[in-house]
Amino acid sequence: MKKVFVFLVLISPFFYLLWSVQTANDPIKYIFSFTGVSAVVILMFSLSIAPIKKVVNLLKYRKMIGLFAFFYALLHFLNFYILDAQLDFAFVVKETIDKPFVYLGMIAFTILLFMTLSSTKKLFRKFSSWHKLVYISLVLVTIHSSMAQKVLSSLEYTFIIVTCVLLGYRIYKLTLVRKVSYNDKASMIVI
Amino acid sequence: MNILKKPDWYISENEITDEKLFDKRRDFLKLGAAALVSSSVVIEKLAAVEKIPRASLNFTKTSFGKGLELNSFKQASTYNNFYEFSLNKKDPAKLAHTLKPNPWEVEISGEVEKPMYIDLQDIFSSYPLEERVYRFRCVEGWSMVVPWIGFTLSHMIKKAKPTSKAKYVKFITELDPDMFPDQKRGIFGNVPYPYVEGLRIDEAMNDLTFMAVGMYGKALPNQNGAPIRLIVPWKYGFKSIKSIVAIELVEEEPLNTWKEINSLEYGFYANVNPEVDHPRWSQAKERKLGSFFKTKTQMFNGYDKEVAHMYKDMDLRKFY
Repeated sequence: MKKVFVFLVLISPFFYLLWSVQTANDPIKYIFSFTGVSAVVILMFSLSIAPIKKVVNLLKYRKMIGLFAFFYALLHFLNFYILDAQLDFAFVVKETIDKPFVYLGMIAFTILLFMTLSSTKKLFRKFSSWHKLVYISLVLVTIHSSMAQKVLSSLEYTFIIVTCVLLGYRIYKLTLVRKVSYNDKASMIVI
Repeated sequence: MNILKKPDWYISENEITDEKLFDKRRDFLKLGAAALVSSSVVIEKLAAVEKIPRASLNFTKTSFGKGLELNSFKQASTYNNFYEFSLNKKDPAKLAHTLKPNPWEVEISGEVEKPMYIDLQDIFSSYPLEERVYRFRCVEGWSMVVPWIGFTLSHMIKKAKPTSKAKYVKFITELDPDMFPDQKRGIFGNVPYPYVEGLRIDEAMNDLTFMAVGMYGKALPNQNGAPIRLIVPWKYGFKSIKSIVAIELVEEEPLNTWKEINSLEYGFYANVNPEVDHPRWSQAKERKLGSFFKTKTQMFNGYDKEVAHMYKDMDLRKFY
């Protein structure tokens, strides 16, 4: 039941988008912003689950939440390819090579795509350590979202702060692992 | 040989509005009832979005932009980059009631024989107001077609008699934190204030360069830069400075706000140019408001015949 609830919460932005885009002044831009922000927020949420697990344990939903981050990133990409580039593959390639703003987003998307494809039980066992790449994706996505603006607003500053906190937590854990593992390698499992 | 000179605001035959529809639209505008947009696409209601009633204006119609498909009043008045209110384009329509466009004076000073203050009421009563439909292209990649009401900037500048030292024109937006909430935030503001823009004197005196005091048949809504703003249709929208209080004729090129913020991405000229990309996004195409499909951006936004001669010896990649 709870899982259904989490699913509905995560899918609801999509339905809101379908409805609200009809009255958007600048639909393509609106889809970019909406799917972009949704993807970033959900990605950050999925990465917050480990740090907050002692307060609320949502670990069993983490995979689904992560997949939803990819879902909105995919819509974002498709908006670029279908509506913005009008299926002009050469244009997409040219823009990706030419513009840091575009290729940072593309690299981040590729990482999420890889994680999605390797999220099955079997493949995850093999590639789970590679999933730490998500932190690279997080950093790229934060830069990408800031670059989408002419002037940063409070939303982008919030993204930057959250990214720093999440990375800080990760680094703190890593140093902890090193210290602990020096004495007792088994305790790594806890982390 | 008889060369047929087409006005440059024609795009192509299939985009030209049926004349009957067009005239009908005029009638609607006259009534102030609605902006009936051409060829069946959108009929937007004016009344619903007009929170503050706008003053009627007396103006003559022109053939500028005849045949272009207008955007709706609603689109043009709810999608505004007006950072003095907010970074969000929907917010100015809700917040701009703090702007007090009346009384208003515009100061003309600098390299002129007759420095002066021009009262807005004098403009309304004695200036030759006309309606012109222009394309408007934002540097962000969206565009719209708007029927502006106003007069040529040259008409105003000539009154002050510029001297030979007047090489550039500098424009300044009102600085008043009571009117513009973001100006209260000091160094934390969205951009440095007051907003400044500039034109070269030949650009300023070009017949297309327009001072708008109205749109869609009536006075400008606050969020569109009331009571008086610049419209330079062949340049990116940020050049078309809003709520102007001062015009200064100067000898040196003025530093415009966006160039001050980021000179690598925004220059002084900012001519619409599909060949020269913004470092972060392509400028080859544009998203006309309300459309899911993009259209090709034209050189000088389609006004090349009127303006290209001013830049013929310039490297437009360098002077972006």
